[in-house]
Amino acid sequence: MRRLVPTGEMTLGPFFPREFAQGANDLTSVEGKKAAGEAIEITGRVVQADGQPLDNVVLEIWQADAQGRFDNPDFFGWGRAATDQNGIYSFKTIKPGACEGRAPHVNFLVLYSGLMRALHTTMFFDASKDPVLDAVPSAHRGRLIAKREGTVYRFDLRLRGEGETPFFDD
Amino acid sequence: MSVLIGRREPQTQSQGVEPGYEQTGKRWPSQALCRRPQTAAELAGPIAVQRRLQPVRGDLAGHGAKRAIGQLIHLRARVVDEDGAPVQGAVVEIWHCNAAGKYIHPNDTHDAPPDPNFYGAARLVAGDGGLIELRTIKPGAYPVPDTGGWWRPPHVHFSVWGRVWLSRLVTQMFFPGDPLNEKDPILNAIRDPQARARCIARLAPTENGPENALVYEYQLVVRGRKGTPQLP
Repeated sequence: MRRLVPTGEMTLGPFFPREFAQGANDLTSVEGKKAAGEAIEITGRVVQADGQPLDNVVLEIWQADAQGRFDNPDFFGWGRAATDQNGIYSFKTIKPGACEGRAPHVNFLVLYSGLMRALHTTMFFDASKDPVLDAVPSAHRGRLIAKREGTVYRFDLRLRGEGETPFFDD
Repeated sequence: MSVLIGRREPQTQSQGVEPGYEQTGKRWPSQALCRRPQTAAELAGPIAVQRRLQPVRGDLAGHGAKRAIGQLIHLRARVVDEDGAPVQGAVVEIWHCNAAGKYIHPNDTHDAPPDPNFYGAARLVAGDGGLIELRTIKPGAYPVPDTGGWWRPPHVHFSVWGRVWLSRLVTQMFFPGDPLNEKDPILNAIRDPQARARCIARLAPTENGPENALVYEYQLVVRGRKGTPQLP
């Protein structure tokens, strides 16, 4: 069969409906079932090239459960958050376990006005060996490792400029 | 694990910084994107995103006294993968402005009237054949502030979940024959003329159209193939 070309990606634009952007950033329960594992918060600030924080950026995450599994019916490992006027987003979730060949991690994608395609990146909890972290120039790997403050993990995203977050093409 | 999602082709996907769209130069990374291996995390779901996001509003046009102003249209879009296989159960978010070019969003400063009978946001789940259908009104064009005359052509936004994490698709659909299509920096970020043409809906034959609506047909192709692993 002839392969179809994936549809051209285009920006989310500035007017993504507010009701779609809100209300899906708590992964600690789904359909009333509470997930097993260590409850954590992932938060951070999203800025552009001139350092200006960005309002209403949509971030989506995808992660394994505490056992490193993606097929747990009581843990739905997907969530969405939007930044506020200070560029701050927040997720409540469960700390993921290691899965086959991978260190614990959370996959992120960033959707925003001015981003013609979703930007993909990955947050790590420490510098453990990982094939995706290894794909990043060694000098920049630290930018993908969240800073821990108790049960809060801080993961800032700079889309462009000095200290820019590494993003992936795949 | 074998790589099952093909790489993006530069002629059929935007490369990030687009002339005529100033914000792309402030927000797209200046460093080359890193190539990463595809592992279980990238090639697993999420599937059944409606567990987190409830479907809402299958009809944006309304009826009778509550009918939205504008040309009634019926969108018929099909979600398929790169093999052309329908992605039944795909969740699709759709949003667009009203017939005057005004969005429901509070950040829209365009001096055009809201329509009290139009709320331009729907979330649907693809049925048999990967089909989603939406009764709505045709969106208007609108000027982009501070750009010296860039008008967005009428367009409909789509956000689609395919089979796996890397299948996620956010895009815009355009209408055939609009002269604004020729200069729009967003549509023209797709360099390949055929790929660009596929971002424009097709006006279906008008005979026997539902409720005197113009029918527009569209295909959304998400990354991935039938063999792309999917959780049970």
